[in-house]
Amino acid sequence: MQRDVGSFPLAPGLRAKLIGAGFQTAQELLEIGPCELSKEIGISKEEALETLQIVRRECNSNATKTAGDPEAVGKCTALELLAQEQAQGFIITFCSALDDILGGGVQLTKITEICGAPGVGKTQLCMQLAVDVQIPECFGGLAGEAVFIDTEGSFMVDRVVDIATACVQHCQLIAETHQEEDFQKSLETFSFESILSHIYYFRCHDYTELLAQIYLLPDFLSEHSKVRLVIVDGIAFPFRHDFEDLSLRTRLLNGLAQQLISIANAHKLAVVLTNQMTTRIGQSQSMLVPALGESWGHAATIRLIFHWDNKQRLATLYKSPSQKESTVPFHITHTP
Amino acid sequence: MVILRAGLCPGLTAEMIQLLKANSIATVVDLVSSDLEEVARKCSLSYKALVAVRRVLLAQFSAFPVNGADLYEELKSSTAILSTGSRSLDRLLDSGLYTGEVTELTGAPGSGKTQVCLSIAMSTSHDLKQNVLYVDSTGGFTASRLLQLAQTRTGDEEEQVEALQRIQVARVFDVYKMLDVLQELRCSVSQQVLSSLGPVKVLVVDSVSAVICPLLGGRQAEGLALMMQLARELKTLARELSMAVVVTNHVTRDGSSGHLKPALGRSWSFVPSTRVLLESREGTWGKASTRRIASLTKSSRQPTGIEVELDIGSCGVLEESPAASGEGC
Repeated sequence: MQRDVGSFPLAPGLRAKLIGAGFQTAQELLEIGPCELSKEIGISKEEALETLQIVRRECNSNATKTAGDPEAVGKCTALELLAQEQAQGFIITFCSALDDILGGGVQLTKITEICGAPGVGKTQLCMQLAVDVQIPECFGGLAGEAVFIDTEGSFMVDRVVDIATACVQHCQLIAETHQEEDFQKSLETFSFESILSHIYYFRCHDYTELLAQIYLLPDFLSEHSKVRLVIVDGIAFPFRHDFEDLSLRTRLLNGLAQQLISIANAHKLAVVLTNQMTTRIGQSQSMLVPALGESWGHAATIRLIFHWDNKQRLATLYKSPSQKESTVPFHITHTP
Repeated sequence: MVILRAGLCPGLTAEMIQLLKANSIATVVDLVSSDLEEVARKCSLSYKALVAVRRVLLAQFSAFPVNGADLYEELKSSTAILSTGSRSLDRLLDSGLYTGEVTELTGAPGSGKTQVCLSIAMSTSHDLKQNVLYVDSTGGFTASRLLQLAQTRTGDEEEQVEALQRIQVARVFDVYKMLDVLQELRCSVSQQVLSSLGPVKVLVVDSVSAVICPLLGGRQAEGLALMMQLARELKTLARELSMAVVVTNHVTRDGSSGHLKPALGRSWSFVPSTRVLLESREGTWGKASTRRIASLTKSSRQPTGIEVELDIGSCGVLEESPAASGEGC
């Protein structure tokens, strides 16, 4: 194992001591025992034992990977990924124009970001998606649950009840026209109480709580394995006011984005974030751009921008790996 | 800084090492740079033995200079130039991706970096019939888009399937896992493990800044150290295994001038030999366009500032033909 000592996840002070003592590759570390290691570099025996365990674990997993199948690494060919993608469903938004530009709906294993000025409909769409993810499979949904992390306090339960009731009615209409067994059966469990009970709501008041919530999310998700959607309504709000150190903000946001995408990938769910808009003053004019800066723009895989055009709401798909940029109009109605 | 160990070279015994360590000579560098007469006196070792050991260690650990002509011959025989599938991009890159070098694509979000990467992967896999390893750290890899690109190149389903099979995808979301994957690639090639596919010719890392940015900044230098570790792995893979490495990078806004510049700072800017900046045409959101401008910002072979136009639409990355309008997909 010619792996360099610097590439193991060890504490920086420990790493500095190891390199200072002359250890370069994992091979050299594995050859000596913990007592000698602790004497050589002047750390306690427990730390030496831990270090050797980490190194041994990484090297062993490497050995089994090279000897065995490539699946263990998490590598797969594009063909297998294609099969996986085609078998995945989408979360429909109940607005066919929006679903069209998104390529069928909100995609799983990806982060979708919705930006827009206040009042344009971001939270409405989030609530709609939290209901839509629970549609039973026979109606074309995912039969999943939703996690709603609210930082702005804009989650209105009455509106969710409206949306849920309308959704149930819609499914009932479909069931009547099709008259199949499983449609009726799934309708029995699909009522607005069950919808509301499967939306897990968390309220975070500042960025520390938000970060903690997201880092604790994998444990929550391993208990509730049916969750297929994580919504963070208002990712900009806790990071925008009272934040003096901008480079710390960038680092935290980037770490957050990586954590979210790794959750989305590991648990096969969709992550939806909403963002605010800010004004950028260019040379000749000022434009509205999504908040949180340039580096945040790279965090989301798919970016939707909602804006107004003379009393008409428009949605623009600004960034997507598989769909073209386009703009469609949409409405927010009483019954979607 | 290699530690002195018994058996590192003939004549270096364990007792010798103990005596040397007692006089604070623990590594090869210490031994080679110390005055041997002094050492022989202090450790009561034979001067001749120490000189012999030093000679062997120097031969083992020092780097040898290479004649320029030999280097040129070696490069000529080992470097390959891989076409990216798009004539205008090839023109920008001096006829394609060079193996042994790291090429970087930067651009704002939505400028088409992932599209260009997918297109390079597909053209290497389908046109050149070589294997590709695609390391994805942003979640932007969409296999259905890759299928679309394959379908525009050939209508034969078997060929499409084969092309997709030659592309291996690894999804890693933090820097240690990325180092893992790169290390494993190096081990598997050096141990000549015959996977079902064969040697990888192109390595695409999309994107490198997504895993490094959370670590940079602040008072710790650990982020920089890991970034340099990653850079070293990529360059080693490129040079020793003759691969062409393509990485993508983000852009950030320069604090003072307000212009966009590639992320990861000045230390990273020395790592890739060629840098391409992708931009979309100035316009408001209403006008959707698939045209992008690629400009060369750093190259060891061409003058910088060359620009070409790319169309990242449904046909993949095609050139802009001046006569036709680039449609007809």
